[in-house]
Amino acid sequence: MSSSSRWLTPWRAATVVILSAGLWATLTRFGGSLSAATNMQDASPWGLWVGFDVLVGVGLAAGGFAIAATVHVFGLKKYAPIARPAVLTAFLGYVLVVVGLLFDLGKPWNGWHPLVMWNPHSVMFEVTWCVMLYSTVLLLELSPLLFDKLGLEAPKRWIHRGYIGLVIAGVLLSMMHQSSLGSLFLIVPDKLHGLWYTPWLPVFFFVSAVAAGLAMTIIESYLSHRAFGRELEGSLLSGLGRAMAVVLGLFLVARTADLALRGNLGLAFAPTEEAVMFWGEMGLGVLLPIALLSRRAVRGSREGLFFAALLAMLGFVLGRLNVGITGMRAASGVDYMPSWMELAVSASLVVLGFMAFGWAVRNLGVFGPSREAHIRPPVAPPILGRASLLQLWGLAAAGLVLVLAVRDREASAAAPPPPPAVTHLEFEEPEALRLPAPFTFPHEDETVGPVTFDHRTHAELKPANCATCHDGRWSLVERGKLLVDLELVHDGVLDEGKLCGSCHDGKTAFDLKEDCESCHAELDGED
Amino acid sequence: MSASILNDLTLCVGCGTCVQACREANGLPKAPPDAPLSGTHFSRLTVVDGLGVRQQCMHCVDPACASVCPVGALKKSPAGPVTYDPDACIGCRYCMVACPFDVPRYTWSSQAPRVAKCTMCSERMAKGATQPACTAACPTGATEFGERDALLAKAHLRIKEHPDRYVDHVYGETEAGGTQILYLSPVSFEALGFRTKLQHSAYPELTWYALSKLPTVVSAAGVGLVGLWWIIHRRDKLAQEASHV
Repeated sequence: MSSSSRWLTPWRAATVVILSAGLWATLTRFGGSLSAATNMQDASPWGLWVGFDVLVGVGLAAGGFAIAATVHVFGLKKYAPIARPAVLTAFLGYVLVVVGLLFDLGKPWNGWHPLVMWNPHSVMFEVTWCVMLYSTVLLLELSPLLFDKLGLEAPKRWIHRGYIGLVIAGVLLSMMHQSSLGSLFLIVPDKLHGLWYTPWLPVFFFVSAVAAGLAMTIIESYLSHRAFGRELEGSLLSGLGRAMAVVLGLFLVARTADLALRGNLGLAFAPTEEAVMFWGEMGLGVLLPIALLSRRAVRGSREGLFFAALLAMLGFVLGRLNVGITGMRAASGVDYMPSWMELAVSASLVVLGFMAFGWAVRNLGVFGPSREAHIRPPVAPPILGRASLLQLWGLAAAGLVLVLAVRDREASAAAPPPPPAVTHLEFEEPEALRLPAPFTFPHEDETVGPVTFDHRTHAELKPANCATCHDGRWSLVERGKLLVDLELVHDGVLDEGKLCGSCHDGKTAFDLKEDCESCHAELDGED
Repeated sequence: MSASILNDLTLCVGCGTCVQACREANGLPKAPPDAPLSGTHFSRLTVVDGLGVRQQCMHCVDPACASVCPVGALKKSPAGPVTYDPDACIGCRYCMVACPFDVPRYTWSSQAPRVAKCTMCSERMAKGATQPACTAACPTGATEFGERDALLAKAHLRIKEHPDRYVDHVYGETEAGGTQILYLSPVSFEALGFRTKLQHSAYPELTWYALSKLPTVVSAAGVGLVGLWWIIHRRDKLAQEASHV
């Protein structure tokens, strides 16, 4: 692809490192177990692989249906040149989501079960079906590229004839599962932080996915332009940028109104980790791109558009991770951070996605035949101007400092452990039943655990003799033989200075020796 | 039949027999009764100042875990218990996320991991046992097996007869829409660490509300898209013909 004599470029070195780490993590995950490779645990059963690979992966692939609908349903033919790359990105995105799921599922070999074992009440079931169907639709939308390659004319014509049906089916399936990824979290109102939980989660997930899809299309067009020297029509990207700004604006207004109406807007200004992450998502990823795109100079420049789209995409990633991880953290009681192996797998999937895209561009006519002829030698302007890069790093650093500061503060605030919930039980006893506190026989070798003796329980069990508790499993008799020296126990119970007798001496409490019937009910009336 | 368990905290002496019986019935390794729930520990007994608090699957009347399971590995049995089929399970762990009581555990270090939780001994009862191992083993009747309606009536009767002994609430009667496991306590449930901020309607209604709207929304969107396409397509066609004339 290039005349460069250097085979070891920084990008290639990074690729090798990431994929090697990913391979090691893969062996650990499948050769060992989830606990060997990940930091997931009972209190945080979903981690990076759900938060990023699935929630983010599916969202970033939303460009596929958004652009396909723009071109084929809304008839805006000028966007046709970017439709196929967008559909290709979406297809690759879904393949990677499925691969990511295979890592995450405890029993990936049962992954086909939703096909035959149905639970229509499960959001997960619906998402699974939509993802499978939509991947098929995307593959069909792309199939003409393969048929071209293989020189098959007839199937290409069939696809062409039904293309609008495929596009509309794709849009509907996307609407369903993009929103349903948000619906997944509707069932955890007590666990998801108030900045994110709302009955409108499905709607917000759909709208933000459209914005992310547009952002991804801008990014991918710009990067292809750099990597493959592809001609770019400026007005195309600026149109996408304008659309993205509108969708982001809609998202911002709806999200703010929802927070305000539910009285949760104040949470955004509390000094918490959640609030910082919220501002990362909404400030960096929504407000800033809108502000940038409102300037004609930014919309008119490829680099400016790319920068705004990059911010929107980062905001989207943060937003999904916030729902999947940050917002669930406080309720989980544990501080989940992904292991390096979880990171390595996610990073490897992204790298593989880029490589597959590059392969498809070089080997299939992704950009259309007329354009392939005009491929120019690569022009490689810096991906970002120095000023933008500095701004981005500055923002990231500021965010990190804020998160650390807030965590520190939260840690120090949480330093004194809360006192035990109950230190002493205040029984409101009638005078006649003023009972001392329960006491505990310690755990000894032959007992399963400590036994707490509660006077109240003892007094109110009918009948309250030894066998009331010591029957069945704890019987004092086994095969007709007494297991304990009853006399010893009896003396122990009565003996002053020992066990019960230490209090039941006629002074502190009633004397047991005076009242045999209290234990030996059958003695009542005899003697 | 709606199998249920009533835990009366005032009757518990804290011996931990319920936990040991659970381990023996399920073939689980030895651990102290107050060991936290885990992949190998389905039932727990914590003694808080003389009050023995059991923790196990609550067997919700309308369980979140069963509603979210994509393959129906977790099921609400008509008899009451929430059962689990490890052979159907794909391991998505949505049940663990969804459970309002955070009960299901996972055997993370296994190569064929599974969800681990109390099933109210439904396997043993299918083989003829008349009640779960834990309630059968309890020496004091502090944890008692029975019909949900009968146990609820019994619980309310105890509160009525001994208003001085119990707080006037049966935990599990309405929490999360109602659970098969019920509790009576002499002190506020909140003070004992019970989750008291749960909603009192069933959790699955929250997702079903959104899911049940999909057919309408998708049909409307489908009709709208086809209509749009038809109008725009026809307009382009007419414009083309006009320019040819």
